[in-house]
Amino acid sequence: MNKELEHNFVKLLEQHQNIVHKVCRLYTNNQDAHNDLFQEITIQLWKAYPKFRGDAKFSTWMYRVGLNTAITLYRKSKRSINTQNFEGVEYKIKAESYDDTEEQQLKILYKAVHQLNDIEKALIFLYLEDKDYREISETLGISEVNARVKMNRIKTKLRTILNP
Amino acid sequence: MDELELLKKDWKKDDSKYPKLSYEEIYKMILKKSSSIVKWIFIISLLEFVFWLALSFMFKDTAYSDKMETLNMNHILIPITVISYAVLIYFFYLFYKNYKNISATDNAKKLMENIIKTRKTVKYYVIFNLATLVVGACIGAFYGFSHNPEFSDKLQSASANGEVFKFYAILFIVTILILAIVIGVLLLFYWLIYGILLKRLNQNYKELKKLEV
Repeated sequence: MNKELEHNFVKLLEQHQNIVHKVCRLYTNNQDAHNDLFQEITIQLWKAYPKFRGDAKFSTWMYRVGLNTAITLYRKSKRSINTQNFEGVEYKIKAESYDDTEEQQLKILYKAVHQLNDIEKALIFLYLEDKDYREISETLGISEVNARVKMNRIKTKLRTILNP
Repeated sequence: MDELELLKKDWKKDDSKYPKLSYEEIYKMILKKSSSIVKWIFIISLLEFVFWLALSFMFKDTAYSDKMETLNMNHILIPITVISYAVLIYFFYLFYKNYKNISATDNAKKLMENIIKTRKTVKYYVIFNLATLVVGACIGAFYGFSHNPEFSDKLQSASANGEVFKFYAILFIVTILILAIVIGVLLLFYWLIYGILLKRLNQNYKELKKLEV
């Protein structure tokens, strides 16, 4: 029974691992920290899995546990760099075209996103993942109105960074 | 195109840039131990319970407690011991209940509140112990002064020299000073541990609360 649970879980996580990678991408700045956070999220997911009833989608459930781990549970190791230090971002930003300005814009945008605080990052992450305000508010435990207001502020903030 | 739409498009575009972990790699991960702050709070809290418990045992088997017995304090010491164990059990029960309530599947705010609650239980326990320490020291000092023959000899010689006031003043200051140092060290210790451990959690909790204003 336990083996079966393990097997099902690992299979599901293997399929949906990109969600965890995306959380790590947003909250860490180098590969070591990325791996650390991935490890911790995996453990938290596994610990919570026996209670996963399947009434929620596995991926929806993953967003919640993943963000909770990144924002609250995870104890940053020394290796992970302060989020203010966005210079360390190693992710390659690919642009479909060789449009220099678009590529440049993206680079600045990703840097700006990395400068946001943990809660703002959670909001922008859920926005980028096309989550509606109901889900955002439920994930963070704030009201829909507040989620909307905050999101608009973050968007404005990001736009200002791009077009000062 | 709007900048944020551009970001979203790029964000969703290629998943291929992420590492692809194999079944085996993920399997190995679930066998590892968590190093979350909840676990640290749990460990440190247990140490705190053990620390205060050990302290009470240490006093039990020392020459100090023999001295206490000669002071005829049992009628006070026994109820205090019983009460302190009852309080310990009560706090531990609360702590365990709160700890069990922590779930990574709650929403972020609820999760943070539950962690803070767990930590607060231990804080109250520590405050209770510090208060007991102060009260205990006062009672002990009172009994020591009024029942200890050594002390009355010294008091007599002091009064013979006309230095009663000085004698009491020094005694009072020394007692306060020792208490202050002990409490100060303990508080600094807690402040350091929890300050470091919970800094980010507190910041994020504040940020979430701010959204509600």
